[in-house]
Amino acid sequence: MVHIEVDGSRCDGFGFCEQAAPEVFGLDDDGVVTVLVAEVPDELSEKAEAATRACPVAALRIGR
Amino acid sequence: MTTTTPLTSDLDLFSDEALTDPYPHYKALRDLGPAVHLTRHGLWFISRYEQVRSALGDWETFSSGRGIGLNDGFNDAWGSALINMDPPAQTEQRKLFTDRLSPRALRPVAADIDRRADQLAADLVTRGSFDAVTDLAQDLPVHVIMDLIGWPTEGRDQLLDMAAGWFDSAGPACPRTAASVPKVEALMGYLAEVVAKENLVPGGFGWTLLEAHKAGQIPVEGAIGLLAGYVVAAFDTTISTISSSMWLFARHPEQWDLLRSEPSLVPAAFNEIVRIESPIQVFSRTTTREVDLGEGAVIPAGARVLHSYGAANRDERHFPDPDRFDIRRNPVDHLGFGYGNHACAGQGLARLETHAVLKALAARVQRIELTGEPVRALNNITRGFQSLPVRIH
Repeated sequence: MVHIEVDGSRCDGFGFCEQAAPEVFGLDDDGVVTVLVAEVPDELSEKAEAATRACPVAALRIGR
Repeated sequence: MTTTTPLTSDLDLFSDEALTDPYPHYKALRDLGPAVHLTRHGLWFISRYEQVRSALGDWETFSSGRGIGLNDGFNDAWGSALINMDPPAQTEQRKLFTDRLSPRALRPVAADIDRRADQLAADLVTRGSFDAVTDLAQDLPVHVIMDLIGWPTEGRDQLLDMAAGWFDSAGPACPRTAASVPKVEALMGYLAEVVAKENLVPGGFGWTLLEAHKAGQIPVEGAIGLLAGYVVAAFDTTISTISSSMWLFARHPEQWDLLRSEPSLVPAAFNEIVRIESPIQVFSRTTTREVDLGEGAVIPAGARVLHSYGAANRDERHFPDPDRFDIRRNPVDHLGFGYGNHACAGQGLARLETHAVLKALAARVQRIELTGEPVRALNNITRGFQSLPVRIH
């Protein structure tokens, strides 16, 4: 299980995380990232990690 | 016992020769160590992907606050510009950009950009032969983007040369940097006049900055600096990306065939173009403390450090076979737009423009051919072309 740490103040709303892992990330009505699952299940963890790397502004981090 | 190679090089990365083909030099510097001291200009050079990415993500250690240019004149002149700031002040000012440039905010203009690109592509197919820089790549930035900024129609052409001068003026002490000074002075004067006369279209991106200035949120130098951020960044970067895409596809027709058969690869192709021919090759930070990057690379506190997007994006430690242009690679974590709190705020717009041009051409063009020798636009910071004669059919 991995846990995603989000710094919403950094998010510019590019949405690359959502494109890379739509099961894990979404954008709210203001275009700011939201994490859709409290804990990322193992089968999605690789995808979620790749999605956090795609964030251009370092708003996402993987916690354990 | 361990022996250490001194991590120094007397290479001049800003010579005509190195700017024309920097990639062998980047490889040599990457192989030498995670950071190399360039004795010629008294700069530290970080060129491997992981170290460049880490540095960009750590503004407390690699600060923009003393400027991101390689000479004091540039850093003093643009000291109050967003690019030369650290959080928390930078975080606040950046919102003036990102509120207008987020994909959500840009959604209403996407159709205009697509329409202009379609018309442009249709016209160029009719012409057959043209210059990919002046006739293709400059079109959207000069017309559509300047409209969005709300820039007066007259005077747009002179901004192209001024913007290239702005990038050159960020270079180290050398003749190319010195030669750019008059262009930058002209740019600064032009911007100051536009701000003083409020000569911007109400509602445009530039207008937001004027309003922030009038509301006392930013000083007049800040407004000028931010406006420069729009007009400078809107030009050379996107122009070089679109020019480089034509150059790459002309030399790799099989990749063009692939794009034509799978237009859904356009976003991936865009990422690969920005990776392999990064429009901004290098910028800089200063260290706030001593930094040990390993392998004997210890950067002292207060050092000026170059972080090379161009070198990091060709790092074989991160991108297998990095010199191969492969639009299926889709390197979403490339550093062509930087990374972290200073990541390019206009990248959504750059994507809209380049995607639109590639889509419009892929729908109409079977072959892109070079019809003459491309001429590089040698610049201290950016990588692109001055002229690129092509034929499409």
